[in-house]
Amino acid sequence: MQYLRSQEKTLMEKLEILTDAAKYDVACTSSGVDRKGSGNGMGNAIKAGICHSFSADGRCISLLKILFTNECIYDCKYCINRVSNDVPRAAFTPDEICELTIGFYRRNYIEGLFLSSGILVSPTYTMELIYQAIYKLRTFYRFEGYIHVKAIPGADPKIIEQLGLLVDRMSINLELPTAEGLKKLAPNKHRKNILTPMRQIQNGIKENKNDLVLYRNAPKFVAAGQSTQMIIGATGETDYQIMNVSEQLYKKFDLKRVFYSAFVHVNDDKELPAIPGGPPLLREHRLYQADWLLRFYGFEAGELLSEDKPNFNVHFDPKCDWALRHLEYFPVEMNRAPYEMILRVPGIGVKSAKRIVNARRNGNLTFEHLKKIGVVLKRALYFITCNGRMMYRTKIEEDYISRQLLGLHEKLPFSQDGMTFTQISLFDDVRFNPKPDIVDGNLALYGQF
Amino acid sequence: MQTILVCEDSFEGILTGIYEAYERKLSHDDVIIETGGEENFRLFSEYIEIKADEEKAVKVSRSLRRMLGDEVVYDLHNALASEDTERGNAVYHTVVEALNGKGRNVMSYLQNDSVRKVFELSRNVWVEIHHMYGFLRFEELEGGILYAAIAPKNNIISRLMPHFSDRFPLENFVIYDEKRDIYAIHPAKGQWFLVREQDMDDRTEVRVSEGEGRMQELFKSFVRTIAIESRTNEKLQLNMLPLRFRPYMTEFR
Repeated sequence: MQYLRSQEKTLMEKLEILTDAAKYDVACTSSGVDRKGSGNGMGNAIKAGICHSFSADGRCISLLKILFTNECIYDCKYCINRVSNDVPRAAFTPDEICELTIGFYRRNYIEGLFLSSGILVSPTYTMELIYQAIYKLRTFYRFEGYIHVKAIPGADPKIIEQLGLLVDRMSINLELPTAEGLKKLAPNKHRKNILTPMRQIQNGIKENKNDLVLYRNAPKFVAAGQSTQMIIGATGETDYQIMNVSEQLYKKFDLKRVFYSAFVHVNDDKELPAIPGGPPLLREHRLYQADWLLRFYGFEAGELLSEDKPNFNVHFDPKCDWALRHLEYFPVEMNRAPYEMILRVPGIGVKSAKRIVNARRNGNLTFEHLKKIGVVLKRALYFITCNGRMMYRTKIEEDYISRQLLGLHEKLPFSQDGMTFTQISLFDDVRFNPKPDIVDGNLALYGQF
Repeated sequence: MQTILVCEDSFEGILTGIYEAYERKLSHDDVIIETGGEENFRLFSEYIEIKADEEKAVKVSRSLRRMLGDEVVYDLHNALASEDTERGNAVYHTVVEALNGKGRNVMSYLQNDSVRKVFELSRNVWVEIHHMYGFLRFEELEGGILYAAIAPKNNIISRLMPHFSDRFPLENFVIYDEKRDIYAIHPAKGQWFLVREQDMDDRTEVRVSEGEGRMQELFKSFVRTIAIESRTNEKLQLNMLPLRFRPYMTEFR
């Protein structure tokens, strides 16, 4: 009857409570699917995703990110909504969710809905409530914008299958990188229950692709693919373990994205680590950088880290760090090197690498040309040649290049008062908080954060 | 001797200029397209005024699409939507490079200054279009019409309309470019069109609808609540969402 009790609140109060409860979810992306409007409803979807605003923490606001309810029967130690916490509770009705989504979408505030939920009564019961809301939104309101829902582990596979036909993206939180961590901090959740529906969605997407070949108008199942997220820094995993888990998720479960969420201290619990420096933002940043390397740059987790060197470098981004330890591959000749090798040069991203490969078909490239076509040479210059010459007289030597690069100051995206640069000390930065670089900027721009 | 074609500062004007440049069969290296304005006059040059001609512009546009494909034309159109004074000449010389053999791959020929200029302008305009897709805000007026005001750096209103028309086919909506005094109007289930301010007769004050205030309050509350305090980073917010957009955005008013 908790559900009834919370109905007395106004829509404004509910929105506040259920937004506040949803804000720790990382994914707010609206990307992965291109869909024109049908002409009889409202909405479309753009593959790159669209950011509609940015909140005070600099994160992109793309979707109306809310919980259906923050009532929960579970007691996960890291979660603000755990049953043993005394926080104001509320629940939306399906109609209220439709009203907010349509009202916001019409005014171009948002790109769609991201609906997650605490667990009311049972996983299946909660998923049915979510289904009702989404069904109404899609059929009665003819909403054709982006919808992302969280599937709740342990829910009936049938309801996941039904819901998958209505939404663009479904995700299941891995919560913590390893099964041991999960056992310690989320006693009601089991690794197996999380991986089973993940596999179900993966198979559903595959089968759906076959159906689409046969019947062009077959309904699409989770068209934008599935993603997951895990909390970083709440348990003792190394970066190496985390990257291996991500790699497996990409390879074996065909995930579109893995999100990393720096642990934010919201509950006092003896099982939780103390984090005096605030959330480990630098670590989160390094993991995103490495994640990018896995997905777009052809790197493998084993190249970036190892048992002996299980954590990322505080001072250098993972690609730079790799290059410094593998100087035997450098310098790379811009006019001849294969695309894959150009991608491995620190400071050269996917777009620059593509431009270089295209532009050199039209004639030999010089450093002047590289600058003109927008390649940033600040870091790259230590690793490349044009027509056999380096830009300046530099040594290909780990110590020398490291010193030069340290002088450049990596641009990191965070710190309490925005972009500040601290002196390099002999000790690891407590916050281990890196700033976002241009890649992250682009990510945020395309709504992929 | 150089020939300088002085065109009207508009999409049609520049395309007409390109038409004339080919029509006159001059050496392309010696032709410069300029758009109006008080340029410094050059010595030993012939200045020719070109009047914009819609028919010629359409011809050029159509043959470019046929010969170079949608992707190249997309970049050219983007570049023309900018208000850079050199865009006409850059687009013209990019077309020359394309028709002299680079063909559909012309946009990868970034060693060439004109191509690079078009590339940069196009990217710049694209970024602004993409920003506007997200940052534009509608208000509901009495009668259910949606209204949005914008002040973009580039002349992109006609490039925004296909997106919003596809998104809101059943809505009556208006987008107003304050800087250029252009209205784009989309009637429900209909085709959108542009209207210049001087063509609008007797404008009456319109009020927002009854439910508008409540929806705006709800959204403001959402934006406030979604931020995580321990990650506050206004500098990053500023980088991602520059101040120039904010006066037009509900949540920052």
